[in-house]
Amino acid sequence: MASKLLSMRAAAVVLFALLLLVPLSGLNQYYLYIATLVLIHIILALGLNILVGYAGQLAFANAAMFGIGAYGVGLLQKHFGVPFWLGAPAGVLAAMAVGTMLALPALRLSGIYLALATLAFAQCTVWVMMHWISVTYGASGFTIKAIDFAPLPIGSDHGMYYLSWICCVLLLVLARNTIQSRIGRAFVALRDHEIAAQSLGVNLLRYKALAFAMSGFYAGVAGVLYAGVLSFVGPESFGLHQMVLQLAAIVIGGTASIAGSVLGGTLIVVIQEIVREFKFSMEIVFGALLALFVLFKPTGLIDLVHLVRPGWREKLHAAGDEARAAEAPAAAAGERTA
Amino acid sequence: MMYFSYLFATGLTTGAIYALVALGIVVVYRATNVVNFAHGEMFMLAGFMAWSAHVTFGLSYLSALALAVLGAFVLSIVMYRYAFKPLMALRDPNPILLVMIGLSFVLKGAARDVWGGKGDYLTFPPLVSPEPMQFAGIMIMSQQLVVLVAALLVMAVLLLLLRYTRAGKFMQATADNAKAARLVGLRIDRVYMYTFGVGAAVAAISAVLMAPLTLLNPDMGFALFIKGFAAAVLGGLSSIAGAIVGGLILGVAEQMAAGYIETGLQEVAAFVVIVLVLIFIPNGLFGTKVARRV
Repeated sequence: MASKLLSMRAAAVVLFALLLLVPLSGLNQYYLYIATLVLIHIILALGLNILVGYAGQLAFANAAMFGIGAYGVGLLQKHFGVPFWLGAPAGVLAAMAVGTMLALPALRLSGIYLALATLAFAQCTVWVMMHWISVTYGASGFTIKAIDFAPLPIGSDHGMYYLSWICCVLLLVLARNTIQSRIGRAFVALRDHEIAAQSLGVNLLRYKALAFAMSGFYAGVAGVLYAGVLSFVGPESFGLHQMVLQLAAIVIGGTASIAGSVLGGTLIVVIQEIVREFKFSMEIVFGALLALFVLFKPTGLIDLVHLVRPGWREKLHAAGDEARAAEAPAAAAGERTA
Repeated sequence: MMYFSYLFATGLTTGAIYALVALGIVVVYRATNVVNFAHGEMFMLAGFMAWSAHVTFGLSYLSALALAVLGAFVLSIVMYRYAFKPLMALRDPNPILLVMIGLSFVLKGAARDVWGGKGDYLTFPPLVSPEPMQFAGIMIMSQQLVVLVAALLVMAVLLLLLRYTRAGKFMQATADNAKAARLVGLRIDRVYMYTFGVGAAVAAISAVLMAPLTLLNPDMGFALFIKGFAAAVLGGLSSIAGAIVGGLILGVAEQMAAGYIETGLQEVAAFVVIVLVLIFIPNGLFGTKVARRV
């Protein structure tokens, strides 16, 4: 029973329950804002980890998807007065649609080719945000009205925090359940060996498209929330720097790990605030973190859990499936040994 | 016609620089199967190092060039030794790519700390008089002519080095078949190291050539890397001739798009080329088709 209490799931439930209480603890505006950013970056890291960590597609367009979500909801409000509640799903869908489209080049390309094709696409997106001034307001960006949670008795800041919390918890559960289903195992199979996966009957088009769609969906939700929190949308937030930040998040936390995504998403927001406080160079700190972790700690900080619980590992199958998984070594063969 | 010839000449000059950057990427890629994401940062740093040597310490242009080349060569060998080498043996190309991206950010941040912040541009004094001159009916600035001739010279020297020297033959052999090269006794690890060094040296030369024509800023590395990669990919990524032709095509096309359609297109042309080429002709104009290994 004691081991049950120490399980990662229990830890996650406690952690997120505590996070729910954050706004009640009387913290000032700044800390509430940081806590909201943490939740948003956890969502981003989860989505990117599904694509890069599990499905093995090193794509660089996540920052652009993040931007498309934010611009989608922001521009709909700015130009047509569409309320946040209606604009948000539209922004998310736009990010998801563009994300899914990126699976097409991913069918032919891998490694550096895929990375640079998606990077080039992302830079084109930012270029459009900067230069299509009549629609996007150009490099200076634009502000949107604070989100109104009218019938509920809470202000915009607290409302955005709770909304982010709800999205984060739902998407966390969705990511965990997906990874523990046959979809997650298909992702891992195509990451480890595309042709072997194909010969086992994994439909590459379907699963690559699904991985890209999921990461687009996560980035879109994060983008919509980001626009709502800042009440401002501008192209600078969605460039190469943001992409390196997100890559650093999953590498520091742990690639191909749900818990690692939560850890990494949290850490980069905290590190970013510390770096800003001490006026270090963001580029040096995050570039060095990314390089050092890949070189010396490729399993990420989540690996430290093994100091406390040596046998722990994230499963690629649901709790009840253990017996069935044992009978299907093919699917389990894809699991990366830690 | 005047306007066209002006655009064409400018396009050829920038294209020659892109070709040099692409050449560095291709030489490294052929030998190691790695696209050096930090290649542009070598270009940027070399430009700043030459600026310091030339403007701050008053050295001559040629000694500044030599210093910048040496600096880039040594720096890239150090990077190879401590960052890339441990990852070269992995079958997975993603970790090395991530390390390169991380390092390129570190170098960019360091350059920003040393040579100036956002939007601070350093000017490099011109070598020759900035007067434009007529050349076979084409108006060209003499600085552009210097760059064009020097770039062609560097390309020719590099090709001769690759073809006729011992070190060049080692690189070719490793590029053709690393396993066979190892079997006949080549220390391919060293070949990789020097290949990265040569790539960086070419980047340094192109940076110092281009410096008097443009302004130096820490973000130019990524921009030049993207242009060089676009040129390389257009030429097939493993073809040296392709890199040169790709660079010239990209340079001219960019100027034409900027001159006749919309100025902002110059920034985005390389991205469009990368996306379109990779999707529709992934082997480029000169590349060889590679069968997928099982």
